[in-house]
Amino acid sequence: MANRLAILWALVVLAVGVHQVHFWRAARLDTDVLALLPEDEQAPEVDAATRKLADEAGRQVVLLVGAKDWASAQQVADEATRALARASDVLEPAVVDTSALDLAVDFYRPYRDRLLTPAQRQWLTRATPEELGGTALMKLYQPAGARMTDWNADPLGLWPDWWQARAAETSARPRDGRLWLSGEGREWVLLTWKSKVSAFALGDGARVTAAVEQARARVEAAVPGARLVASGVPLYAEAAAAQASWEMSTIGLGSLAAVLILVWLTFRSLRPILLVGVSLALGCAVALSVTALVFDRVHLLTLVFGASLVGVAEDYGFHYFAARQGKAPSERGPVMRSLLPGMALALVTSVVAYLALGVAPFPGLRQMAVFSAAGLTAAFLTVVCWFPSLDRGTLPVTAFSARFSASITRWPRITSTRGWWLTGAAVAALVAVGLWKLEPQDDLRQLQGAPANLIADQRELGRLLGLPSPAQFFLVEGDSDEQVLAREAVLKQRLDALVAERVFAGYRAVSDWLPSQAQQREDAALSARAEARAVAAVSESTGEAPTRAAFAEEPLTPSRFLAGPAAATIRQQWLGTLGARQYSVLMLRGLNDPQQLPRLEEATRGLEGIRWVDKTAEISGLLGRYRRIMGGLIVAGYVAVLLMLGTRFGRQAWRAWLPSVLGTLITLALFGWVGAPLQLFTVLGLVLLLGMGVDYGIFLLEHPGDGAAWLAVALAGVSTLLSFGLLALSATPALRSFGLAMLLGEVTIWILTPCFRLPPKKATP
Amino acid sequence: MRRLLALGCALLSLSAHASDLVKDVRARLVDAPLVRGRFEQKKTVTGFKKPLVSKGDFLLARDQGVLWNTRTPFASTLTLTRKSLSAEQGQGGAAYHLDSTKEPALAAVNELLFALLAGDVTTLQKRFKVEGALVGPAGWRLELTPTDAGLARVFKHIQLEGDGYVRQVRMEETRGDVSVILFDQLTRTPPPDATETERLGK
Repeated sequence: MANRLAILWALVVLAVGVHQVHFWRAARLDTDVLALLPEDEQAPEVDAATRKLADEAGRQVVLLVGAKDWASAQQVADEATRALARASDVLEPAVVDTSALDLAVDFYRPYRDRLLTPAQRQWLTRATPEELGGTALMKLYQPAGARMTDWNADPLGLWPDWWQARAAETSARPRDGRLWLSGEGREWVLLTWKSKVSAFALGDGARVTAAVEQARARVEAAVPGARLVASGVPLYAEAAAAQASWEMSTIGLGSLAAVLILVWLTFRSLRPILLVGVSLALGCAVALSVTALVFDRVHLLTLVFGASLVGVAEDYGFHYFAARQGKAPSERGPVMRSLLPGMALALVTSVVAYLALGVAPFPGLRQMAVFSAAGLTAAFLTVVCWFPSLDRGTLPVTAFSARFSASITRWPRITSTRGWWLTGAAVAALVAVGLWKLEPQDDLRQLQGAPANLIADQRELGRLLGLPSPAQFFLVEGDSDEQVLAREAVLKQRLDALVAERVFAGYRAVSDWLPSQAQQREDAALSARAEARAVAAVSESTGEAPTRAAFAEEPLTPSRFLAGPAAATIRQQWLGTLGARQYSVLMLRGLNDPQQLPRLEEATRGLEGIRWVDKTAEISGLLGRYRRIMGGLIVAGYVAVLLMLGTRFGRQAWRAWLPSVLGTLITLALFGWVGAPLQLFTVLGLVLLLGMGVDYGIFLLEHPGDGAAWLAVALAGVSTLLSFGLLALSATPALRSFGLAMLLGEVTIWILTPCFRLPPKKATP
Repeated sequence: MRRLLALGCALLSLSAHASDLVKDVRARLVDAPLVRGRFEQKKTVTGFKKPLVSKGDFLLARDQGVLWNTRTPFASTLTLTRKSLSAEQGQGGAAYHLDSTKEPALAAVNELLFALLAGDVTTLQKRFKVEGALVGPAGWRLELTPTDAGLARVFKHIQLEGDGYVRQVRMEETRGDVSVILFDQLTRTPPPDATETERLGK
């Protein structure tokens, strides 16, 4: 039976090995922070919008190079370009195709008469015939001007204005053959490059970042006071990969080293080291394979978090060797059988706790849950199936383990004395005050682990370029394209008032590029009327009879627009059909003051089919909601665990249970005392604590008075502490607060659990 | 939009022959901070059988701007400064105003008109391929072809003739319209009066 299990497990391990080879060959690792964000439960269309907006950038690296004056700005731009060009294996300049603007102009030409800016619409409505005629004449006789059509196709010279309004959607303008903008005390040149590499493997060396840094150094050296500001998904991806590489090796190798040193100190034998190492390696490999199979792509943070698995999965090996130490090799089978119930129970509580993390709808968290649960199970199976067969020699008790095992008898034990009651009351008071001081925080930033300089650069770039924010937008919904575009137009009228008040700088809407057909008809009629007057005035003045050009009979339809050359500029905002409805996104530029957000939400009041989406607020709300849900889950979990322990340990169950409860409360109180905020991820750490902390109690109750059990618990505690403690080094605030909660909780539980052990007389059966 | 703009902007290549011609022409031009004179503009526009002729006077103040006063066939004024372009008609109240500080494309057209009237060959050289010849003892003729993508979208060729002053400008637009402007009665005085100074200050 045991042999058959061992062989069966060997086959599984073989399959995992094959999968691992495949996995690492085509590492499908996710670095995108967005992948960690929760799916929107109520509105899949909001999700679709966010993803489409995020996909836009992809491989782009956008740089602004600036100096005090335009001449030096151009000079440093050339320096930067030369430096970037040297990294031609990873970067290429984004292609500048001069024909695209001409193509777009030609595309719109037949529809010129129905493309008006709001200001033009106003002017044409109120201008007198004299004013229209006079303007036409002045523009006709003006010595030079940027005309884009024949005179009779635009007698009032309206079209260049319309294009200028489109160009106003960004603050960059062509100047001397470059893209220029002026802001924050400098003249800037905009450079756009593309990364040639699509995937960012671990430890690949941040080559795009290196090239940008080199360009930055060159720029700063070339002209005093010159600056380079860069942003782009590739830079974030490289930072994330580098960070994850470092954290994985620190946490993983750190806890592995700790585990192996502990094993060596305790058993002074190579065999336990090898076998525990094997159980950990298999745990990690199986965890990775299962995660990759379930989720298709594995997120980097899963791997970082997964590295903490090393410090948890070693428990089973420790228990086995601690119990087996000093016994004859022939007793391996019985030792394993005596351990099995406790180990299985511990595994179940831990796995349930890990899987409970996956209740929150964060894809990243679900991966971590699956990863850890699978890894733990695999380590458990390795110990159970293989250890008795592979561990053949003798394993004498070492002096270290003998001393350690005996230490349990000297550990304080809580009894019903006055001193203990007073201590208990003091702790209760401190805990109560700490809990009262605890402040919740559901800031989205806890998910963002990117280096501060990248975030600062991105903010500055967005501010200078006037880029629209992808986190706040209006989602417009309708039965048809026409309705969506018409609803956008109504919304834009309200927004124009806010733009005039400088609440934000401007917006970018599909209907600016593709007005609704009703709007097109209206504007075509308006321009026809006004231009007829202009043409009449000109013919009167010149004595000739020029005729106004003819325009397209049919309106510009969405299908024509989307097939045309101008669609690329706005395509990511046109969501098209989702379900049975049509959607578009209207984006805002220059929205820098969070206090103005309520005014934007207010702008939608009474408008049908328009929703204000504030992704930041929404995710914060979600984080808060799940913080409370998971908090409730912890309470329910403790009740369930108590019941489960009760079935096995009867009236003594509280001894395994109470240390975890106290550990959780004391951890929370410590957070309160030091002023650390209570976040969803702190709570999640406590969920895990529930599953793991109870394990120690289980082992001590399963094997009362057994020094070996205490030894195993002590070893397991130290290694778990180390791995989660190392997690507190992570650059991702979420993982850090997770690690911190685990660290404090584990220490407390580990100290408290032996205090609640059975009294000696009960311990002897 | 960023893409479209990027597309709209091809790299400018400086004219390789910043040659003796430019130096010679500059030597023949009078270095005047202020020029006044009369102009006659003939504009051939698609859709009109006869050229559109307008006449008037102008003032070029090198550091401030250009005032272009059309007298016939109707009265109107055009004011061109580094910051803006504005036009007004005496009667009827028609007027328009364009701010060029934020639109380098417009600023470039303003700068071009400045340079054309002043015969500022150095500036023209930045955006045009400059060819031509000296004519007689004091005259010269230049042929300009835009090298800047933005200007190439508007102008095909520009011809410039003159002596101590620019005497004739011929602008051939990409869409086929041609303007010929002749200048005469050119003087370097008097300085701008109060009204003119106010207009140039806009």
